[in-house]
Amino acid sequence: MLKNYIKIAWRNLVKNKLSGFITIGGLAVGLTACTQILFYVAHERSYDSFHTDSDRIYAVEAQVNMGGDSIYMNSMNATVGELTENASPAVSSSLRLKEEYKPVIITNTSQPGTRFSEKDFSYADANFFDFFSFKLKNGNTATVLSKPYSLVLSEDMAKKYFGNQNPIGETLSVRKDSTYLFTVTGVMENTPSNSSLHPDFLASLSSMPTMKEFERDFDSEVFRLGAFPTYLKLTNPTAKNAVENTMQKLSIQGNAEASDVYSLSLLTDKHLNGRDASNTRYIRIFPLIAVLILLLALVNYLSLSTARATLRSKEIGVRKVNGASRKSVAFQFYVESTLYVIFAFLLSVALSVVLNPWFFSLLDIEIDASFFLNKNFLLILTCLLGFTVLATGFYPALVMSAFNPVENLRSSRASKMGEERLRKVCTTVQFVIAIALLISGIIIHQQLDYVRGVDTGLNRSDVVMVTLQNTMGTNSTPFRNEIEKLSQVTSTAVAQYPIYKGYNMFFASSEQVPDATGLPIFSVDDDFFKTLGVTWETKPDDENFYSKSDPVIINEAAISKFKLGPNPIGESLLFGNSKREIVGVVKDFHFENLDAPINAVALFVNSKTKATTNILGKSGGCLFVRFQPESDVPQLLSKMETIYTQYDSATPFEYQFLDDAFDTMFRSEERLSHVFNLFIILAMLIAGMGLFALATFSAQQRMKELGVRKVLGASVLQLTTLLSFDFLKLILLAILIASPLAWYFMHEWLQDFNYKTTIHWWVFLGAGAGALVLAILTVSFQAIKAALANPVKSLRTE
Amino acid sequence: MLLQLNHIYKWVKQGGKRVFLLNDISLDVEEGEFISIMGPSGSGKSTLLNVIGMLDEFQEGEYIFDGEPVHSLKEKQRSKLYKEYIGFVFQAYHLIDELTVYENIETPLLYKNIKSSERKALVADMLDRFNIVGKKDLFPAQLSGGQQQLVGIARALIAKPKLILADEPTGNLNSKQGEEIMELFKELNAEGVTIIQATHSESNAAYGNRIIHLLDGSKQLQP
Repeated sequence: MLKNYIKIAWRNLVKNKLSGFITIGGLAVGLTACTQILFYVAHERSYDSFHTDSDRIYAVEAQVNMGGDSIYMNSMNATVGELTENASPAVSSSLRLKEEYKPVIITNTSQPGTRFSEKDFSYADANFFDFFSFKLKNGNTATVLSKPYSLVLSEDMAKKYFGNQNPIGETLSVRKDSTYLFTVTGVMENTPSNSSLHPDFLASLSSMPTMKEFERDFDSEVFRLGAFPTYLKLTNPTAKNAVENTMQKLSIQGNAEASDVYSLSLLTDKHLNGRDASNTRYIRIFPLIAVLILLLALVNYLSLSTARATLRSKEIGVRKVNGASRKSVAFQFYVESTLYVIFAFLLSVALSVVLNPWFFSLLDIEIDASFFLNKNFLLILTCLLGFTVLATGFYPALVMSAFNPVENLRSSRASKMGEERLRKVCTTVQFVIAIALLISGIIIHQQLDYVRGVDTGLNRSDVVMVTLQNTMGTNSTPFRNEIEKLSQVTSTAVAQYPIYKGYNMFFASSEQVPDATGLPIFSVDDDFFKTLGVTWETKPDDENFYSKSDPVIINEAAISKFKLGPNPIGESLLFGNSKREIVGVVKDFHFENLDAPINAVALFVNSKTKATTNILGKSGGCLFVRFQPESDVPQLLSKMETIYTQYDSATPFEYQFLDDAFDTMFRSEERLSHVFNLFIILAMLIAGMGLFALATFSAQQRMKELGVRKVLGASVLQLTTLLSFDFLKLILLAILIASPLAWYFMHEWLQDFNYKTTIHWWVFLGAGAGALVLAILTVSFQAIKAALANPVKSLRTE
Repeated sequence: MLLQLNHIYKWVKQGGKRVFLLNDISLDVEEGEFISIMGPSGSGKSTLLNVIGMLDEFQEGEYIFDGEPVHSLKEKQRSKLYKEYIGFVFQAYHLIDELTVYENIETPLLYKNIKSSERKALVADMLDRFNIVGKKDLFPAQLSGGQQQLVGIARALIAKPKLILADEPTGNLNSKQGEEIMELFKELNAEGVTIIQATHSESNAAYGNRIIHLLDGSKQLQP
């Protein structure tokens, strides 16, 4: 029986290749989009869950009150883990994991040419591999990190520094302010892509007390904030509150006046609910889009299968007369649906495998291929398959099994009014989704363009930022001089950090606001204003104002923050004990994410010579290089690199364009925009395919009517219009429904932005026109074909 | 007595008026009879066959089939009854286009949950009997009209029905093919199968041992 059903389903599929292809292909495309997104979302949600004890690994956090702002800190004093472990039986172990916040220079001592600047260098306690579930390829879990100056490499790094040679026992030199020699004791497997911790180099934390840079981090034994991100493993997740209380008590014991509030946050929450949500900002929108696309594909399937049902009516009648019960007919169509869905699913798996790398490179995401076999993801897939089978089989089975055999056998069965209406609703729904996505996509794109074009108070184009490490040292002056001599370079400037990448935070007070208040500080030289195009509100009278002792320049936002007078020149700000006189005011410019209003900022201006030697050379800073607009950029960069390596061969040349740095702040929006682009195409494709198949079907059904009309003298154009108009009405309706929907959602979305584009009426018009053109093209093809057919043929077959 | 119709009425409403499709039809059919129903288009031949075949309902009257009162049975019991005892043959053959000759003949057996091996034997017998063994793997579209109708009859017979209902079985065939089919019916009848056929043609009707004339849904006296 089952064999018979599968056979007939297959033969039907082969017989109606086009409609079969559209039905299955549409579903496959929808499923592919859906699985890709689910794959991405499942991956995002699975962060850090691969650790065996992931449900009871917590990071210690403290909420600190600083000048009125409440700030979360996750770096604890070296003793915090141990103290908590001793004080609370609910803590089974603790771990300190300290990351270098600046790149270190690593050299293979036996091959001095193998030298790179490395960002992911961390120090961990000896129990690291016991605490987390990272796996060692080489080395003993218990002892790899027990001795000072031991180093574990990731597989990739072992390859990078040692090739195929066995790295165990080899020495790497690590250059910070001083240089240290580490012995490689182990190689760990590369961290999975869903790990929020991904050290490439893991050094024993016991090395730190003897490293000059870290000596001071071990001075105090008190329970308080410090330099070490600290993790605790509890015996039981329910003990969280008790441990938090213990930590609070320990903090009070250490310092009776401490007001910091300690808490624990689950490691697995870090990725999605962490402080930096820019990567995951739209993680909630993505599943919604996936559901929409799936819905589109299902609706398409539904509408096509009711259409097909009409062609199958005779078969059903025959089966019933030959003894089939309603149940067995329903079962047959369920089998058929299941078969089609399985085909679609297999096709979508194939599509996924092919398109996956492309899709993720588009979204700028890296996910281990092995995650495809992740248990949760497979479970989701199975659920998706089950749901699709149920959803697609339900309606056809129900409708077709109810066909009355006598009616069906008498003549080829005309569609019932109800089914006709259902198909109309389906087409409308499809186009509502497609058009709404199209409108939203256009608006997202406009918003991105708009934000990129916003006047942020800086001239971002034609500036490259070169980061220098302290390895440049005293060479910074000749280096800068040579760069300035390049013909394309118009000016250079110095600051401690690249713009958009960070700043120092000082505490300042004014007469009007005596409480210490957090204030971002830029240490720059006097060319900063010219090079970055910062505009003056009040320019200092004295050209050489920076030669005065400790002047400060503030922006407009700082005036209001410190409640200074309308012309604050001559007033002063107090930074701890040092008083600085305000000599100038600049107009506000953005130096952080555009979402936040412009913060107050103070600029400490140094003379060019002083800034070059101190900021750029000694501590390592950022050199802004403005070049002429039409310059040959690659050539300029290679010249700069040559100069750079001449003066600092220890650290690789690193640069970024200012406008690129600005753009990276919109990564999540950009990603959203890419996803929308893709899904607009998919939605249009599915909707278009569905419409095409329906038009074919409708032309088939009305063959006789068209034949009669033609015999009576209707022209091809009249017949085409007659057939097309039915569909175009639906598209117009879809435009009317989709426009306000899209407007509403986009309006809400734009509320999150400080700078927002206006939604133009022509977006709706354009999207509508686009959909209409697509519809006319698909429908008229079939309509013209039908209108051109010889009426004698169609009338004879009746 | 195989079946008995007592004062059957069937009508549809058109503009508030009843239009009678069957008007006071009474009919007794004994086992082993071969009955021809004659009448012009629209006289109610097909409707009467559908009512006898339990595919269609009627508004008034009694229908007793093999001792069972069909008019008071539920849908499910009714379909069980006709599946068991009645085979249908159609003017347009109504074979399933996507199934082969073999599979078409096999279909009724599938719905009776007969075992695979037994099905094979039954279908093979039938193919043999109608001399179409060589055509068993062909699809309906590859056969002539007469051959398709042979398959249709084979399918109707496979479940060993007591009654065959044939609605214009030769309507789409040329006269030679038509004659062959009628001869076949005659043979089947001689083997004890009860047959009721609807037809236009006097000569085909003559194969039956009783002729019923219908006009506008009413039984006519012999002209």
